[in-house]
Amino acid sequence: MSSPAPKSPEQSEKSKKYDRQLRLWGDHGQKVLENAKICLINATALGTEILKSLALPGIGSFTIVDGEKITDEDIGTNFFIESDSIGASRAQVTTQNLLELNPDVRGDYIDETVDHVLAHSQDFFDTFSVVIATSLPEKVLMPLSRHLWEKNVPLIVCRSVGFLGYIRCQIKEHTIIEAHPDNENADLRLDNPWPALQEHLEKFDIPKLDNKERSHVPAVIILYYYLNQFKAEHGHLPKTRAEKEEIKRKIIESPHPDEHGIKHLEENFKEAIRYINTCVNPVKIPSNVQAILNDDSCINLHQTSSSFWVLCAALKEFVESENSLPLKGSLPDMAADTNSYVALQQLYQKQAQNQSEIIYRRALEIARTLGLSQESITETEAKLFCKYASQLNVIRGSCIADEYQKTGLDFTSYLEDPDSLLFHYITLRGLERFISEFNSYPGQLDDHVEPDLLKLKSIIGKLLAEWGCSQIIRDERVHEVCRYGGAELHSISAILGGCAAQEAIKLITSQYKPLNNTFIYDGITSTSASFTL
Amino acid sequence: MIKLFSLKQQKKDGEASPRPGNQKKASAAQLRITKDINELNLPKTCTTEFPDPDDLLSFKLVICPDEGFYKTGRFVFSFKVGPNYPHEPPKVKCETQVYHPNIDQQGNVCLNILREDWKPVLTINSIVYGLQYLFLEPNPEDPLNKEAAEVLTTNRRLFEQNVQKAMRGGYVGSTYFDRCLK
Amino acid sequence: MTEAQEPSQKRWAHLRKILERPGPFCHPEFEPSPEIMDFIVTSCKILVVGAGGLGCELLKDLALMGFKQIHVIDMDTIDLSNLNRQFLFRQKDIGQSKAKVAAEFINRRIPGCQVTPHFCKIQDYDEGFYRSFHIIVCGLDSIVARRWINGMIMSLLCYEDGVLDNSTIIPLVDGGTEGFKGNARVIVPGNSACVECTLDLYPPQVTYPLCTIANTPRLPEHCIEYVKVVMWPKENPFNAALDGDDTQHVGWIYEKSLERAAQFNITGVTYRLVQGVVKNIIPAVASTNAVIAGVCATEVFKIATSCCLPLNNYMVFNDVDGIYTYTYTAERKDNCVVCSQVPQTLLIPDATKMKLKDLIQTLCEDETYQMKNPGLTTTVGGKNKTLYISTIKSIEERTRDNLNKSLVELGLKDGSEIMVADATTPMTLVFCLKFQSSDVEMN
Repeated sequence: MSSPAPKSPEQSEKSKKYDRQLRLWGDHGQKVLENAKICLINATALGTEILKSLALPGIGSFTIVDGEKITDEDIGTNFFIESDSIGASRAQVTTQNLLELNPDVRGDYIDETVDHVLAHSQDFFDTFSVVIATSLPEKVLMPLSRHLWEKNVPLIVCRSVGFLGYIRCQIKEHTIIEAHPDNENADLRLDNPWPALQEHLEKFDIPKLDNKERSHVPAVIILYYYLNQFKAEHGHLPKTRAEKEEIKRKIIESPHPDEHGIKHLEENFKEAIRYINTCVNPVKIPSNVQAILNDDSCINLHQTSSSFWVLCAALKEFVESENSLPLKGSLPDMAADTNSYVALQQLYQKQAQNQSEIIYRRALEIARTLGLSQESITETEAKLFCKYASQLNVIRGSCIADEYQKTGLDFTSYLEDPDSLLFHYITLRGLERFISEFNSYPGQLDDHVEPDLLKLKSIIGKLLAEWGCSQIIRDERVHEVCRYGGAELHSISAILGGCAAQEAIKLITSQYKPLNNTFIYDGITSTSASFTL
Repeated sequence: MIKLFSLKQQKKDGEASPRPGNQKKASAAQLRITKDINELNLPKTCTTEFPDPDDLLSFKLVICPDEGFYKTGRFVFSFKVGPNYPHEPPKVKCETQVYHPNIDQQGNVCLNILREDWKPVLTINSIVYGLQYLFLEPNPEDPLNKEAAEVLTTNRRLFEQNVQKAMRGGYVGSTYFDRCLK
Repeated sequence: MTEAQEPSQKRWAHLRKILERPGPFCHPEFEPSPEIMDFIVTSCKILVVGAGGLGCELLKDLALMGFKQIHVIDMDTIDLSNLNRQFLFRQKDIGQSKAKVAAEFINRRIPGCQVTPHFCKIQDYDEGFYRSFHIIVCGLDSIVARRWINGMIMSLLCYEDGVLDNSTIIPLVDGGTEGFKGNARVIVPGNSACVECTLDLYPPQVTYPLCTIANTPRLPEHCIEYVKVVMWPKENPFNAALDGDDTQHVGWIYEKSLERAAQFNITGVTYRLVQGVVKNIIPAVASTNAVIAGVCATEVFKIATSCCLPLNNYMVFNDVDGIYTYTYTAERKDNCVVCSQVPQTLLIPDATKMKLKDLIQTLCEDETYQMKNPGLTTTVGGKNKTLYISTIKSIEERTRDNLNKSLVELGLKDGSEIMVADATTPMTLVFCLKFQSSDVEMN
């Protein structure tokens, strides 16, 4: 056998086990996940479904807070409860069964109600990466939400009743470098190339290339040539559609005719045409990024500023002097021969590296003057930050307690649509109020459906009046919720559990954009909607 | 919307006896290839050979170009249609050694619709025409055999001679070609 | 069994509320009653196809929605890389049958549930097996397998005088995931778009032009593909087909790819990337599987109980940016080879006398068909058989003799199906032969 001794890297067991998810959030995302501490309040079926999708990918640890004893209904809905454990502590049994899922995860439980924990040691919740609560009564939700808001601990509140589901993320401030958008435009800088790129691009005189050379030249170089030509004639880059069409025509006209006088446009020239629409516009600072650079947190740094904001401050200075974001540094694949492509790619990579180094060094200086530790900003983070500078995101959510105490909620715009899922939000708010007032679900007992329907209708009427909303909720929507009688359907909880777990992972890893802030799922029509409340 | 189960007649027997004369059903790929084959409309330079007429999923295509560089040659391609047809294209290999810019010594063929540009609406016929075109207009811009492509662009005469040499059987450079004249 | 029966009454209290109370959004013909729960628990038979990421979730979801008669079929064994999401499997189970381990886990955790595992290929069973289920739910990562199941349930449909017999409909619920994206759909055979109608929805596998990977590689993927597609068959280093699960094989590809990348000054070949390209790995997380399986199980429950209208008929899910779903009706394709196929019955007066050429003549002369050059195939004893194709010389020559054989001589029986392709129809038609005389039994 000709092959040399295998030099394939030994893969750790962990990287094999987590391979399918490492391809999404990377080793760095996994590392953060493995240090995360999750608190689950109430190990309902929904609660354990959420923890299941967090334990499997390997969070660091979880703690369940639940004072309930296991009932028959728990056995019928909750996978992490065995049938012989009726009467046992729900926190204990579910903790044991969840831990069995993944030996990498640690877990413990507190066999007390959340009210009790909150009353005796409020700061208990302060050290968690995320707190998740299910079936939380309004009277506990209010102080918990306020407390976690002040401590800047993310809170995810979920409810599953009948075919309906609700998820609410409470995040004070969340910053994202890696949003992983589905599509993004190439960052080519043809409007304003840096000197090294300009020098390289100007080496090519497209009309003088022979057929073979033509087939090897990357689209970026072709496009630059015709842009330059246009600029020389008109004094500016093409802006209008007609102007772009003019460039397109020039490219179409460019091939040398064959022996029959026919011009065949090569693949790379076709690619150049495709780039006209997306990559010719002058590179501007996206408004969302500009807003971040103008944000108070970026301007007024302090000793507790996160590395994200320190990097933003360094970026702001860079943008002010360069009038552009740092170069992304990645060149999309384009038809070309290897050398032409690689040479171009290296130019882009080099420039991006230079710029990210400038920003990294500046960020270190800023950190030093603030008295922050030098380790708080890593070169890896700075590189990612520069690469994804055009996609930076800051989410500032709202406090659930504020939402609940707010009067004058204006839903009019949503409610014009009779099928708006916001109606479910209103009935679910009514449901919570009902539980607080009557200490049971509407329709919990078979012969209570009718009388509870009236009570719930009046509660919802009161809520709407408090909000100054003139809309009326159709009786049938209220009836449907009463019919559920607080029933939890496992499959609906499974859907919500997956969704809520993924939101927690986004909050922990600071990758991908989390829900802001309310998600409603309607299992009857298999539809969903998100609202910012 | 139909209500599917009336609870009165819901019982299913586990061992429902198969219908008489029941046999393995034709797959979607099988139904589609039957159509493709029956509707094959071959150019006069092409013929197909089915080693087993009952197996429409594997056959050979023979191309004998009547013009261009490859006139007088005879080139055999094997087609293997998989169970995921037409979601995936058939696997096509050139079984004849040929001095051609778009075909390599292993019989790999560089034809866009055989890989990146395949779509389920295309048929066996589309591939046949694509292959035939490769012999009329070898494309030096997408080479698999770089040397041949180089020669074609720089010296058409030499290319023509090389093609002839290869088809008669013999060496072109250091590569030996089997004779493949008609 | 008293232990299992005792809690079963109370443990389904939640489901009973849904099934025993009338509601404003129920299916118009829904009649709430305790019988529905009995049906779910005692007689509704569900087949789960695939015991992987979706399959594990589906088994749990269905078992906790009250279903007891569940079968699961999967030919795969458990691998370490499954454990980040296939939550019924543990380290000690690696190498064992997914179907068996999953079934045992569910049956142990949920007393009374009777999951029956089938450690084999879906193709190993015939229509008698598939027909015995009320609903089939798929959690597969293979398009071939999906198309096979789809074709199977479509072939189970029976038509009386061109009218579909509704009792032969077996609804198919199908889920699929990739990373943070997924989809779920409900297929009511003969009524809604089937897998084949929407084949275009499945993204084709990423491929690169052969000449690029051979001559002008630019990406690390190009180098890996070259080693896989060109070098492996040429050098055949282990005298075996490339096996993505064999670390020696992947190691070889990795080294050769590194060499090739270095030669072209290309950076970025990593072992993980090589594995991804060689095995065509699709990223997967627990959460997306949980969501899609939950949607599918909810649909199974809706269809089985008629408690509300099922999904009509396609839902896509994506939680890359917030949580997004979109529900729409995928359209049937009226020339779908599989589902727009109403098998036609051809009456055969005397199969011992009727020759193949007579049959072809009938197809050409018949008012409704008026075919031109029909090509005919069938299946005999599980094998494809070409009866006659006039348009292909090499086949024509070797099937010409069939023209003068009687249908019985050709091995055709009462109920046999023949496939007929002709330029006059957009797709191959399936005909079911109905022999009229009774004395045609072959000895």
